[in-house]
Amino acid sequence: MNAEPNPAHDEFRHEALLYRGLADFVDRTVPFIRGGLEAGESVAVVTSAKHIDALRRELGSDAGVVAFADIAVIGANPARIIPFWQDFIATQDGRPLRGIGEPIWAGRSAAELVECQRHESLLNVAIDTETPIWLLCPYDATCLDPEIIDEARHSHPHVTAGPPATASREPQRKSEVFRGVRASGMPFATPLPDPPSEATVLRFGSGDLAVVRGIVAASAASAGLDAHRADDLVVAAHEIATNSVRHGGGAGVLKVWPEDGQLICDFNDAGHIDDPLADRRQPSSTAAGGRGLWLANQLCDLVQIRSHPSGTQIRLHVRG
Amino acid sequence: MNGDGPGGEKEMSLLRARAAGEQPMAGWMEGEQMYADKQLVIRHTIPTNGLSFAGVIDVNNADAVADALKSQLEGKGDLHLELSRVEFWDVSGIRALVAAAESANSRRRIVLHGMAPLLRKVMTLVGWAELPGLEICNCGEEPG
Repeated sequence: MNAEPNPAHDEFRHEALLYRGLADFVDRTVPFIRGGLEAGESVAVVTSAKHIDALRRELGSDAGVVAFADIAVIGANPARIIPFWQDFIATQDGRPLRGIGEPIWAGRSAAELVECQRHESLLNVAIDTETPIWLLCPYDATCLDPEIIDEARHSHPHVTAGPPATASREPQRKSEVFRGVRASGMPFATPLPDPPSEATVLRFGSGDLAVVRGIVAASAASAGLDAHRADDLVVAAHEIATNSVRHGGGAGVLKVWPEDGQLICDFNDAGHIDDPLADRRQPSSTAAGGRGLWLANQLCDLVQIRSHPSGTQIRLHVRG
Repeated sequence: MNGDGPGGEKEMSLLRARAAGEQPMAGWMEGEQMYADKQLVIRHTIPTNGLSFAGVIDVNNADAVADALKSQLEGKGDLHLELSRVEFWDVSGIRALVAAAESANSRRRIVLHGMAPLLRKVMTLVGWAELPGLEICNCGEEPG
């Protein structure tokens, strides 16, 4: 085992791994995984089914003690990934851990990419600095746009680009380039594209929740959404509208339109969400509020939140 | 609540087990009404120690539902709820149910009957499906 990929880690280390293709992915991640196992650490890997297959083959019997999860299941909606890591951390009683998480792959939509990048920034504040987990986030430099690679450099305190034997770590990144923590402290910065002019528009108040549900259900039916997905969207939309009624000035504006095989519901109200992790804090059984956004993330393929002191915009995406 | 708004007739076809106005599940008889507002009716049931719900439970009547449930938890034995005609039940409504279950003493439970699968899914997703004072009966699909 190469010693280089195994520095002692007694605190949270969030590291981007820039690799080139599948073989390089395996060459670079297997020593990281084996290093963790040899140190007695628990290891979880969340990546594509194809990458998981390749890792299982290379790891052989060691694969049995690694927790694998398909990113398409865990993190199709990237807002579900932080709760996954928090669950993993919670089960391990403070022992050192390693994780591999690959939320970004070629083929992600533009909206998904923006939210994946937000996820990567939020990781820097979602996990306490003293939590002993080393998270490696692989980025395939052969098929991702240079802008995405550049953003990864900005959202990770540590970036590894070279092969393990000659790892060219960039220890000064934190002070020079890294802006992840600051970026996550400036929530919801990237504006969303304008809704199309043909979107259905509804101004709603507290007495109109049934109308909100009705419009979403009817739009889902005409967009050809599967009945279960339509139900998911109706429930999520109702909760977001309820938040507008309760916390967003008592009213809101809903716009609904189909786009690329999805139905999109866009809500605007006068409320302000100042917690950048508001939608991914796992509800405890005793807490009173905060479940609407959580539920929307569990039911929808993507939830985009943009909030400023002057108002909040929440956009739900559900694929047919 | 604006029940005659756009889509009002077809909106809930997928979200409830039965249409409002139908009879409760087999084995249940309805007694006197104990609560009503413009989107929900709650009745006592015979012979079970219970209540039947028909309509919508959301942020507009969640507090009233919580009060109604708590008032029924003063007696003895489990409280049975017949939910097959609940058209829509949102998170604030579920919270009312959970608050009532938590207020009950440890020997009393609230037992849910005829829950639509979607409601059950939502309860699981928000972490409320497994509370000590709450039991979900698997009678949603095949009443009686």
